[in-house]
Amino acid sequence: MSATLTLPGRLGRGILYFARRAPMSAFWGVVALAILIMAITAPVIAPFDPVKSDFRAMSKPPYEKHVFGTDQIGRDTLSRVIHGSRASLTVAVSAVLLGTTVGALWGLASGYFGGRFDIFSQRILEFLQSFPDLILAMAIAMALGAGTGTVILAIAITRIPFGGRVIRAVVLSLKELQYVEAARGLGASHARMMFRHILPQCIAPYLILATTHLGVAIIIEASLGFLGVGIPPPTPTWGNMLSDALNAGLIPPWWLVLFPGLAISITVLAFNLLGDGVRDVLDPRLRGAV
Amino acid sequence: MYSYIVRRMGFGLITIVGVSIIVFVVMRILPGDPLVAIFGPEGYTKLSEADRLGYMKQLGLSDPLYIQYLHWMGDIANGSFGHSFFRSESVAEMIGRRGPLTAEIGILAVAFSWLIGIPVAIVSALRPNSLPDNVARFISILCLAVPGFWVGMLIVLASLFWFGYRAPLTGASLFVDPWSNFQIVIGPAVVLGMGQAAYIARMARSSLLEVIREDYVRTARAKGLNARLVIIWHALPNALLPVITLSGILLGFVLAGSIPVERAFGTPGLGSAMFSAVGERDVFVMQNLVFLYAVVFVVLNILVDLIIAWLDPRIRYA
Repeated sequence: MSATLTLPGRLGRGILYFARRAPMSAFWGVVALAILIMAITAPVIAPFDPVKSDFRAMSKPPYEKHVFGTDQIGRDTLSRVIHGSRASLTVAVSAVLLGTTVGALWGLASGYFGGRFDIFSQRILEFLQSFPDLILAMAIAMALGAGTGTVILAIAITRIPFGGRVIRAVVLSLKELQYVEAARGLGASHARMMFRHILPQCIAPYLILATTHLGVAIIIEASLGFLGVGIPPPTPTWGNMLSDALNAGLIPPWWLVLFPGLAISITVLAFNLLGDGVRDVLDPRLRGAV
Repeated sequence: MYSYIVRRMGFGLITIVGVSIIVFVVMRILPGDPLVAIFGPEGYTKLSEADRLGYMKQLGLSDPLYIQYLHWMGDIANGSFGHSFFRSESVAEMIGRRGPLTAEIGILAVAFSWLIGIPVAIVSALRPNSLPDNVARFISILCLAVPGFWVGMLIVLASLFWFGYRAPLTGASLFVDPWSNFQIVIGPAVVLGMGQAAYIARMARSSLLEVIREDYVRTARAKGLNARLVIIWHALPNALLPVITLSGILLGFVLAGSIPVERAFGTPGLGSAMFSAVGERDVFVMQNLVFLYAVVFVVLNILVDLIIAWLDPRIRYA
């Protein structure tokens, strides 16, 4: 606990602490990390090109050359599942970061200033929360046309109310604390009060929100892909692979259904459990609240 | 109580107006040119200038935006909800034809989630951190991570593969042909219900654990009542309040989740209609369906709040 620890040292200590407090979550955190590495190194580790057809091996069930089989135009399912992780993680991580950040800043301002601005903001967030998230995301993605940017934006907008509400509640309780009052007494500006004195206290709830919402974001992304408003083919995503499988014939080949869905499930499981662990370690009081 | 009902309904009305504005902004203003949304960017460039003007006029898109908005509100007020761009039937007819199936799925899914979730929660709360509790929690974590539409696809595939069975694909009303209606709705309802059961079990467990610690429960036990009876007769009714609230929210999510699940099962409900509307870029149908889903969601939440207020005097008089 000396002040001489370097940043990597402190990070290492933090991770060790996390692993001791929440071993189950730490294990799934490692799985999440492995999926992240898989996404980054996809072009290197995938055995085949995910968009290239092999007309000598069409609709083949799993065998030695194509261990996850091939689809109706001879693309390797394993390579497509590996590449699919890129779309999934890019969208989920950017959407959650964007949505939670915008929501958090909005909640910060709304809680800090209060008054009419706060009432107005609360109403807007309530309107946004009146849509089941998948439906709002579908409508936005359809209106803006398919593409990675649109899907990110569509999912991010559905995450704004959560950030807004939670951070506002935190700010409301912080505002009354004596150290904040002291800063105001010393003549600090609004910006200084918000960013220097209040914002740092919001980091824990922000991190909790961001990690717990990753799993939901991945499921929404997959659902959008499955409904044809996600990232359009030929880019492989787990959602549009499942959608393709349904279009492959009256009876979809089992290997085209099984593997992309397993990939979604394992990834969501990993991020959900990692999120639970982050929540429990950072703030046990928030159990069940976020 | 009456003032509470009036206040809650008033807020609900404001929310519905706000929701309609958001839907209008998203579906009509966000795409820039609605014709781009209808024809897609490539199709749009193939239209001639005259075609564009003709379509704009025919669809009432050349009016100022607030007039278009009022037109839409008028369509909703007279009950037609406007017309599909590709089909002759009005959106209202489509909702009347396909809505009941989806409503059945939603209600069955919630019933199913209670039937599974509450007993599991009671077993968990009776002995927290025991083996059955941990197994139940692990399964509920699993249920939350697995996408329902994928499970649906697997079920359809497995029943075809092993039994050569497939649920009928054409819609059948509950009253005309209950058996084929049951075959259509049971799959989606079970799949959606499993996901909800996980949430219900989680919420009921933590709520029960909290209530069990209260004084009146200890008193009941001190009187010498059987531990199980105390839980079922004394603790459970109070513990269920948050579960009812959650259930209302979940029903809204079931309706949304039923869009991909209906596609997986090939169920001819409202979710499938939404899926085809998205595929055909039918902005008008989409706009009305999105609004309908949001209104149902808002109304459900009001209903749940009123039920809670009716059950819990602390809220009624606050």
